[in-house]
Amino acid sequence: MTHLTMETLLSLREAGLEPGDASARDHLEHCVACRGELDRLHQRVARIKALPALRPGRDRWPQTSARLRADRRAHRQRVAGLIGLAAAASIAVAVLVGPRPGAVAAAGEQEIQAAMQRSQALESALSQYHPEERMLDGRTAGIAQELEDRIARVDRELEMAELLERQPRDDQLLKLWRERVGLLDALVDVHVTRASNVGL
Amino acid sequence: MTGIRVMESYLLANAESVVARARAGDEGALEELYRAFEAPVYNLARRICRTTEDAEDVLQETFFEVCRSIGRYREEGSLWGWVRTIAASKALMRLRRNKYRDTDELVEEVVGHRREDMALRMDLEAALERLSETSRAVVWLHDVEGYTHEEIAGMMGKTPSFSKSQLARAHQRLRRWLGEEVEV
Repeated sequence: MTHLTMETLLSLREAGLEPGDASARDHLEHCVACRGELDRLHQRVARIKALPALRPGRDRWPQTSARLRADRRAHRQRVAGLIGLAAAASIAVAVLVGPRPGAVAAAGEQEIQAAMQRSQALESALSQYHPEERMLDGRTAGIAQELEDRIARVDRELEMAELLERQPRDDQLLKLWRERVGLLDALVDVHVTRASNVGL
Repeated sequence: MTGIRVMESYLLANAESVVARARAGDEGALEELYRAFEAPVYNLARRICRTTEDAEDVLQETFFEVCRSIGRYREEGSLWGWVRTIAASKALMRLRRNKYRDTDELVEEVVGHRREDMALRMDLEAALERLSETSRAVVWLHDVEGYTHEEIAGMMGKTPSFSKSQLARAHQRLRRWLGEEVEV
């Protein structure tokens, strides 16, 4: 008698019928050996499922979150660069097209430009401290994290603000860029102050 | 409620609010996700990968991806199912990158029938460990995690027939190594 292959026995465990399953089931009814094999297969799978869960020997969250922060920082710099280019282009167009009604708008654009430049300078200062490579105590790391989260939120709002109509957009951009500069200033303080305290 | 949903509610009772906060970039929520799923992700990775180091790397890669793409998670599926698929893909990617040798096949080739004659009884853990990386991954994904052959084939970039034959071959070997062969 030809017994069922392992592949056929396995297919009998699957939901739904495969071609040939009916004859396999018919064989199973009359073959003690194959029923035994199927039982052993069920038991083996049950034993594999019941194996104890293996747990990591060390905590990998610190590395994961550090990598996330570095990734966010890189993303932020890319976004800031792109927004800066877009704003610079709109200023250039405004200059070429000629004076717009009201000097207030031009003054606003200049302020945005100044805030953007300050923001870029702070990003550059921050990157020189390589914050992702430095260890921080828990409290300082918490503050730095909170600031980075808030900067990330400001960046998302900056992207949204770019889609607004001109006047509300400029007002919103100026507000957000100033907020970003304030947060970056604080972040530089956190890293630099801590670095100077421990002589890094 | 499906088994996967039950497991998810056991691992992370307040999943909806944690996901909402994680999407807003709240690092505390991202860490909650990590803490909730760290153990099952590591277990899956360790069962597929050969070394603890590789499994730990897969754990990190998985959560880096989870945190980065939490905004793309659609809530109609289970959160654990989504995380688990990322983990399985990362573990399989690690196998491809490392190009592990199919050690059981090599042993069979070298010692031939002598090994079979020994009627070697092995511990289940040791027998699984001795399977080739690919076979072990298929056994784990199919028999324990409940993926279909079509899903496994999709993750491995192979055909469902490949997954079926790997599973059958693995069970034949396990049966022999565990001393379950019965003379007919």
